[in-house]
Amino acid sequence: MTETGLTWPKNVNEIPKAAFTRKDIYAEEMKRIFFGQEWHPVAHESELPNPGDFKTFRLAGVPLLIARDMEGMVRVFYNACSHRGNQLETAVMGNKTEFECPYHRWLFDAKGDLVGCPNHRDFLPGFDKSDYPLAQPRFDSFYGLFFVTLSAETESLPEFLGDSQNTLRELLGGDGRLKLLGYQKVRYDSNWKSYTDNDGYHAPLLHQAFKLLNWQGGKGRQFTATKHGHICFESALSVVSGPTVLKDDSLIAFKGQDPAVGSRIVSLFPTFVSTKHLDVINLRFATPVDEETVEVHYAYFAHQDDDEDMVRHRLRQSSNLLGPCGLISMEDASIFHRIHIGNHTPGNAIFQKGVHDQSKLESEFLQNDESGNLPRWEYYRSVMGFERAEA
Amino acid sequence: MMQTDTALEAALDALLLADASALDGKDMQGWLANYSEEDEASYICRSAENSENGLALGFMFDDCRSRLEDRVTFVNDIWVGTFQDYRTRHFVQRVKYWRVDAATISVRSNFSVFMTPTDSGITQVLAAGQYLDTVRLDKAGGLKLLSRRAELDTSVLPRYLVYPI
Ligand code: FES
Ligand SMILES: [Fe+2]
Repeated sequence: MTETGLTWPKNVNEIPKAAFTRKDIYAEEMKRIFFGQEWHPVAHESELPNPGDFKTFRLAGVPLLIARDMEGMVRVFYNACSHRGNQLETAVMGNKTEFECPYHRWLFDAKGDLVGCPNHRDFLPGFDKSDYPLAQPRFDSFYGLFFVTLSAETESLPEFLGDSQNTLRELLGGDGRLKLLGYQKVRYDSNWKSYTDNDGYHAPLLHQAFKLLNWQGGKGRQFTATKHGHICFESALSVVSGPTVLKDDSLIAFKGQDPAVGSRIVSLFPTFVSTKHLDVINLRFATPVDEETVEVHYAYFAHQDDDEDMVRHRLRQSSNLLGPCGLISMEDASIFHRIHIGNHTPGNAIFQKGVHDQSKLESEFLQNDESGNLPRWEYYRSVMGFERAEA
Repeated sequence: MMQTDTALEAALDALLLADASALDGKDMQGWLANYSEEDEASYICRSAENSENGLALGFMFDDCRSRLEDRVTFVNDIWVGTFQDYRTRHFVQRVKYWRVDAATISVRSNFSVFMTPTDSGITQVLAAGQYLDTVRLDKAGGLKLLSRRAELDTSVLPRYLVYPI
């Protein structure tokens, strides 16, 4: 047992509900997971397509500035002035060639170099501007998706992604050449783990919409990638045939060129969920706010090769289908809240569907198996240092 | 014949309040009835942040009459029993209007929406923002919404949305 003191159940399909609600466990998660050896997606480069474009984002409270310089290179900085640490940029997104800190007027270019500071003759003897660029966390990218890690010990990004790489590449339009359509941002009254445990994973019974729309789920597979327990779903695309209750069925139409690529979901430990379904390409940048709250930025994309009609179709479908107000996912959002309320009760959450042996973890699953989440839980348990009970 | 300003203002306010009343009463048919029968009738709910950055994506994007009708189906038929219900109170205030042509008026109003989830009973602000409306005057002198954009200052929602704002 660690100082946080939680004994993990012996059975691999049981998760103690206390892990979702205890403040002390949340504080430990910050250290071991969010500042630990994980990579966290923070932006896709298509969110900042032009020289001078930037985006800010808070990852587990840490303010980040992601900026494209005038030569087109994207970098990630801490969004804090290298002088006294004042928050540098306040806008969520925009275009700037220089960032000026208002406090003592230090000026940085989009490469993060300090290019101006008034009255520096009064500073420490030997003060040199080149010693004060904006600080940077470790970052790397995969098909334009930028990841940050807050630990020096983290393995390389390709190792971290492992076998999820191909599914993720397909999800990013095959080549990562995306075009931003916009955001839906929301806070859920839910622990970050209740969010990731229930987003992506699809309980068909929940979705009244599938029945009313005459929509059968496509056949598919679900597998675990790497020891982190990343979850990948690959399934043939199922398209509604026959009558639906919708008057405008373009909402559920597939107009893409490549039905073989079908639906994809990649859920990376700890909080990232991404999906490509019908013509929606959606990256969900999620960050814990406290043990009771998670903030999710749903970013939607078209592909750069889309013609105008396709962009329009993606825009209309993306807005109304899979987000916090979407036809087939508003219900998921409500489950995040309700699971979190339910987790404030004693005992364990018990996974059933797809579990064959309570003492064994598997790595291949059927599309709607709950058991796909279990390797991730095992990784969580080991990172947190929780011992399994003997009996 | 064009109405006098006072009569027109009263009619515009009546339309704004009819919408607030339908939404707070969860009367989706009543909500739909405030919109014009024209095919282009539209309701878009979007963050001001998206709009200001040239991003057209919305929280709700009902850009034709059939999507408005489908929105009624979502709430009344498809989502029944799957969410935690909440009450809302919409406060609307007309800020500015101008006549576009004999049958069309542009209206800008502020809104704030309180929500009270039935389970917690705690009231909080769901969203604040402005309605950017195009209002159609029909032959009988009635007013309907041809298009409404609920532009939310609230770029991060405190909750998922079931009902339009
Ligand atoms: S803190 Fe930024 S210039 Fe002093
Ligand atoms: Fe779902």
